[in-house]
Amino acid sequence: MIHWAEQVGESWQEILGALTQAFELSRTAAQAEQSIVFVLRQDDLLGRRGPGNAMVATGLLSAARTAALEGSRKGWTANVVAYDEDADREKVQAWAEMLLETGDVTGELVRVGPGHVGKTLP
Amino acid sequence: MTGAVVVTGAARGIGRAIAEKLAETGPITVIGVDVAPELALSEHVTPVQVDLTSPDGPSIVRETVEAADVPLVGLVNNAGITRDARLVNMTDEDFAAVLEVNLGAAYRLANELAPSMSDGGSIVNIASRAYLGNFGQFNYSMSKGGLVGMTRAMALSLAPAVRVNAVAPGLISSEMSMGIPEEVRDKMVAAIPLDRMGTPEEIANTVWWLLTPLSSYITGEVIVVGGGRSLS
Repeated sequence: MIHWAEQVGESWQEILGALTQAFELSRTAAQAEQSIVFVLRQDDLLGRRGPGNAMVATGLLSAARTAALEGSRKGWTANVVAYDEDADREKVQAWAEMLLETGDVTGELVRVGPGHVGKTLP
Repeated sequence: MTGAVVVTGAARGIGRAIAEKLAETGPITVIGVDVAPELALSEHVTPVQVDLTSPDGPSIVRETVEAADVPLVGLVNNAGITRDARLVNMTDEDFAAVLEVNLGAAYRLANELAPSMSDGGSIVNIASRAYLGNFGQFNYSMSKGGLVGMTRAMALSLAPAVRVNAVAPGLISSEMSMGIPEEVRDKMVAAIPLDRMGTPEEIANTVWWLLTPLSSYITGEVIVVGGGRSLS
């Protein structure tokens, strides 16, 4: 399952809706023992586009790390791809598919683009 | 540091220790949301009993701050719950309950209070080391990770007037951790380089430091207080 994080506004209900959707998709994937990849904006991990998008992005990153722990006992993986604003979306999707297909990497954050260099580690 | 500090989840554990530390080190008025009865007797504590997930919960806290008639210098978003289950078994209700209390209430309260905070004010969000991932806590981990993102975004939007940071406690001796089966808890302690659980007072000390001008050049950070567990 590859899930691209929704862009949200500042209303709590909208934020909760985005997180709930990710939870439901993840639970379905986990029940089917399928791997999970969340795709989100690097800017949002740093809180640069407002609290709503930041809460969704960092919430998904933490959830992926927890899912990775649970999946490792069953043979499925959970990872996150974060991309810079100007990144080629097809290349981002290709990274997500690669993470989905290989069972070797789990609980990881892969950054597409240099936007994270010199910034905080999420 | 003088003025009022709002502390949520102040009835027990970490929140209570934070409220006690602030009340002892004043001159501070602690606005304690869901505060311990003994602590409510302190002349430095103004108790508020409110459901922070209710639509008018945050505004009731703001009105209490206004009635105290002292500058609002701090907010500690501490209230939190757990509803643990493996992801495959997690119910919609348990997911929503944890997100509403741990993240939604903190977000709505910070939005309500931030506009009235004094220059030099400080918000501290109590996250958890579980934001790095923790088995059986998809909901809790997501909520605490969300708090980290909220911390970073608000640190940017409220600068330079107000600083916003997070503290991520590891395994702390509290009512919440006492609910973990003893044999599991022993294994968890064995994995901590400092070879013990932390105390609520050790978290309170870190929070207090982040509330004071001693940390005046720090914003948008997450400080893990976990005895080195993130390394082992």
